[in-house]
Amino acid sequence: MRRLNLGTAVAGGLVVGYLAWYLAHHFLQTDKASTSDQVTLITSAGWALGFLIGIGAFHGPLTWLSGRDQSHEDETFLAGKGQGVGRYFRFTTDHKVVGIQYLVITMVLLAVGGTLAMMIRTNLITPHSGFLSPQTYNSVVGLHGLTMILATIIMVTGPFGNFIVPLMIGARDMAFPRLNALSLWLLVALVPVLFSAAFMGGIPTGWSGYAPLSDQAPPGMDAYLMAIILFALSSAIAGANITTTILTMRARGMTWNRTPIFVWGVMASVGLAIPAFPMFMSSMVLLGVDRTVGGQFYVASGGGNPWLYSNLFWLMGHPEVYVIVLPAVVALMELTPVFSRKPLFNYNAAVLGIVGIVGLSIMVWAHHMYASGWAPALNGPFMLTTELISIPTGVIFLVILGTMWRGRIWTTLPMMATYAMLWNFIIGGVTGIYVSDVPADYALHGSMFVTAHFHYTLMGAGLTGAIGALAYWFPKMTGRMLERGPGLVSFWLVQIGFNVTFLGMFAVGLAGQPRRVVHYDPAFGVGNTVSSIGAYVIGLGMLVLLYAVVVSWRHGEVAPANPWGAKTLEWTVPNPIPLENFEVLPVVVADPYGYGEGDVPGLVPAPGVPVPREPQPAEVGATGDGPDPLAAAGGPLTGDDASQGTGRELQ
Amino acid sequence: MTTPQPFGVRARLWSRRPEVRGIFLIWAVLTALLCAFAFVPSRIMGPAASPTMDAVKSTMTVFTIAAAPVAAFVWAVALYSLLRWRHRGSGPPEDARPSMRSNRPATAVWLVVSSVLCVFLLVWGLAEMQSVSRASAAQPLVVDVTGQQWVWTFSYPAQGKVESDQLYLPVNRPVVFHVTSNDVIHSFWVVQMGIKVDANPGMTTTTNVTPNKLGTFDVRCAELCGLLHADMETTVHVVDASAFRSWVVENGGHV
Amino acid sequence: MTSSETAEAPQLHVEDPDLIGRRWRTGVLLLIVADAAFVAALMFSYFYLRGLNTQHAWLAPGQATASIAVSWLLALGVVVSAAVFRGADRAIRSGHEGRFVSATAVALLVLLATTVGQFLQLSNFPFGVADSAYSSALYTMAGANFVHLLITAFLAVAMWNRGRQHIYTATSNWQVQLVGLWWTWVALAAVVGAFTTSFITSPNVGG
Repeated sequence: MRRLNLGTAVAGGLVVGYLAWYLAHHFLQTDKASTSDQVTLITSAGWALGFLIGIGAFHGPLTWLSGRDQSHEDETFLAGKGQGVGRYFRFTTDHKVVGIQYLVITMVLLAVGGTLAMMIRTNLITPHSGFLSPQTYNSVVGLHGLTMILATIIMVTGPFGNFIVPLMIGARDMAFPRLNALSLWLLVALVPVLFSAAFMGGIPTGWSGYAPLSDQAPPGMDAYLMAIILFALSSAIAGANITTTILTMRARGMTWNRTPIFVWGVMASVGLAIPAFPMFMSSMVLLGVDRTVGGQFYVASGGGNPWLYSNLFWLMGHPEVYVIVLPAVVALMELTPVFSRKPLFNYNAAVLGIVGIVGLSIMVWAHHMYASGWAPALNGPFMLTTELISIPTGVIFLVILGTMWRGRIWTTLPMMATYAMLWNFIIGGVTGIYVSDVPADYALHGSMFVTAHFHYTLMGAGLTGAIGALAYWFPKMTGRMLERGPGLVSFWLVQIGFNVTFLGMFAVGLAGQPRRVVHYDPAFGVGNTVSSIGAYVIGLGMLVLLYAVVVSWRHGEVAPANPWGAKTLEWTVPNPIPLENFEVLPVVVADPYGYGEGDVPGLVPAPGVPVPREPQPAEVGATGDGPDPLAAAGGPLTGDDASQGTGRELQ
Repeated sequence: MTTPQPFGVRARLWSRRPEVRGIFLIWAVLTALLCAFAFVPSRIMGPAASPTMDAVKSTMTVFTIAAAPVAAFVWAVALYSLLRWRHRGSGPPEDARPSMRSNRPATAVWLVVSSVLCVFLLVWGLAEMQSVSRASAAQPLVVDVTGQQWVWTFSYPAQGKVESDQLYLPVNRPVVFHVTSNDVIHSFWVVQMGIKVDANPGMTTTTNVTPNKLGTFDVRCAELCGLLHADMETTVHVVDASAFRSWVVENGGHV
Repeated sequence: MTSSETAEAPQLHVEDPDLIGRRWRTGVLLLIVADAAFVAALMFSYFYLRGLNTQHAWLAPGQATASIAVSWLLALGVVVSAAVFRGADRAIRSGHEGRFVSATAVALLVLLATTVGQFLQLSNFPFGVADSAYSSALYTMAGANFVHLLITAFLAVAMWNRGRQHIYTATSNWQVQLVGLWWTWVALAAVVGAFTTSFITSPNVGG
């Protein structure tokens, strides 16, 4: 176990993948058309299996089976104690290592997806540019979509949900550290599988992979469906892990109405993912059956139906939108009080807003299918549920505006992201009400208008929120400040480029340009050229951001433990953060938003507990003792003393 | 505990506060600008060729106007906070005072306004759905539409064996399209008439419209359907009734 | 034992096993929710395709169908094994380690027999996977059940092996309870599968 790392994982993946390929090649009938699909699927499954063996993912379960539990030394090793940079390349269980690994993977995926976006926009810069062939173009569109969907799903709950949430709730690690590492390495295993699709005919179906087009697609589609199956496993495990951590490991005294709002947002996001992605996985399993052994699930002549696919897909697909947007927007909600120096406005409404969005989001999937004709009688009810979402979403805006109201706005990079989100998300939301309207959607569905709309939500709100979160937590995660100069340049390039790109795209969509077309009517020329220029500006801005992150990480100004003067727990631990975060677990007596309410400390000494010998950071008083089951269990969950510190209504 | 002042007095004091006046001013200007902008989307959509498209275009305008005050309010508060409440310095500012946790009237007003808007959107949408689906009442012309990679085929079952790869429609007569596909999912979209329905293999879907303008318009495929998806377009010719009759006869049908 | 003696904290903090057990209970329940979403999606697929009966091809003309009795027999096998394991769970809670091991062994054997039975059913369906939507759905649901049984068999072997090594006692047995929880879910899923596949011909026979 101790010698395993990314190198052995890749070696294992290659060996088992090759073995699987060899066996599949020799034992399957070669006369059938679906053989190459079977070979692709078996090979990629072999790769994933070998990769996980090579990284040591099965070591724990097998020793458990044999009756030998891991020794304390094993666990300390797994946590990455004293391994320097090497721990980032191992099956390391420390949530901070996993958080950084997620951050790097997110950036890699965003870079690849962004490059693909540049290719799309280059192709569309003139009506018939001929830059990409139709075959390549369709694949690039599909790969861009899926890569970005995966990147944006993990971009907040991966890096910050893993790194920050345990610190924020006063825990020493995640509930299931080994499952945490497993979810991360499953993700790493699927990335090569996904991109191998590009070399096997691509995925010329768009990321939505609508059947039966996906039934007739080349073997790249098998890589696609295998990647999604692995992703569904990874996200179900990560979701169960993060949710359990939040449910059971909040610090003593951190009742539900003292829990930082970001924790709510992350829990809502991963909680939604738990039922959503298995549905996606099932749609892919059925697709795999169709493709490899001639199943009839989506084949009309065999009694199958393409509407089955679209229902399963959107049952996942709409909750997934909130899986992406919620934690990003809520991260901005978390940092708005810090940079307005005022308590979060109407905490209860904020929580209800999040819960309302989660609840409604599982009842709106068929608004993606108004025009599919699968159930025209249901279009009215789905219009109702869709438009109802505007109410809890409005509450999120109210909370942010109320927090800014008469605050002292400190316009740091994270706070600028909040402003950008307020601009972008309003546009994304208002264009959302057009397409929620059934007749208007008949006119706009499948056009560039829809593409622009969801980029305004997923990118304008989601990615902007993630960048804000990165700027906000960068000092805690890396111990250095994010350089303000390049940060600002990148912010303006990305935001201006973004609005230029997608306002142009709205225009061509309204004028009637369909989505996912390799060339288009010259009448749409101007809007597309504008859009492409905007896209290059975004690309430039993202490169500057990458530069800012890399340079700051290596040479940035060393950050104090609490550079923003924030009151949540993650800022009470020193930089660099010790292996288990808190030598003694904190006890929480108020919510973390008591700005301007006198020197009410968020943390006080627990009665009758000796002050530890090592001095703690000033913000922490003395606290509970080390292995304190009560504190680790989250203390009283129902909030017997919950009324202090919250619910005050001051004018 | 001080006795609360009468509502009228409080409201007057409130409305004299500088931030209230400032935000109101910005809000009014932005709302006016957005209302002016509200006519832009429907202009970009181009001239309508059916009552359905007219309904869609007015929906775009009405929804923009309905959303304008809300969007303007959000941006007004954001803008004002940047202009007046901004802290310039390198370190964290002092905490803001008074430290406000919540405000019931503000929350209540916000919820009521967003609920009223939501109900309005819903009622408008339902009424609009009703009006666009009523069009097929009288003696509609039936057209069978078949999508296949990557062409559209139109046939006219009541007119005999007329088949065409371009769509011919008589003006001002309701049309019902029965749409299906031979291979993968396509989406039948008559751009200037504002109608769209997927062509699904194995199933038949319907949509209807009454073209009310002579001329040629575009049919495009709105669902990615493979290699030549971008080329899966054709033309709609909306002609007068006699021209339509002669076109049918020329193509071997009967009227 | 605390590690506050040294500032470096060379050891990890040790947590109360019962606390870890309670945490795992939440985690296992959430994983069951995820798996349930998958099973529900399969069930939805079956009933949706059966209800649509697209092109009257839900069943191919003259197609043989799977024996409902066999499906229920397999479900019964899982239910019995889960019930026996519940007995094992009760035994370890009252401290009877020997009875725990033997009951787990019985449960494991019943489960393995059912797994073999599931494999035989899969390889002896009187139709091919490509014959109709019905056939594809039956193969897929039986396959999903087979995977369920394999995972459960892994856990059952671990239970038996660890029980043999006296790892579980009357006071330390949360892992047994969690495996029991999973096993009960697998039994429920098998029953749901048998129920679903009991409805064969489509109600939608009209034009």
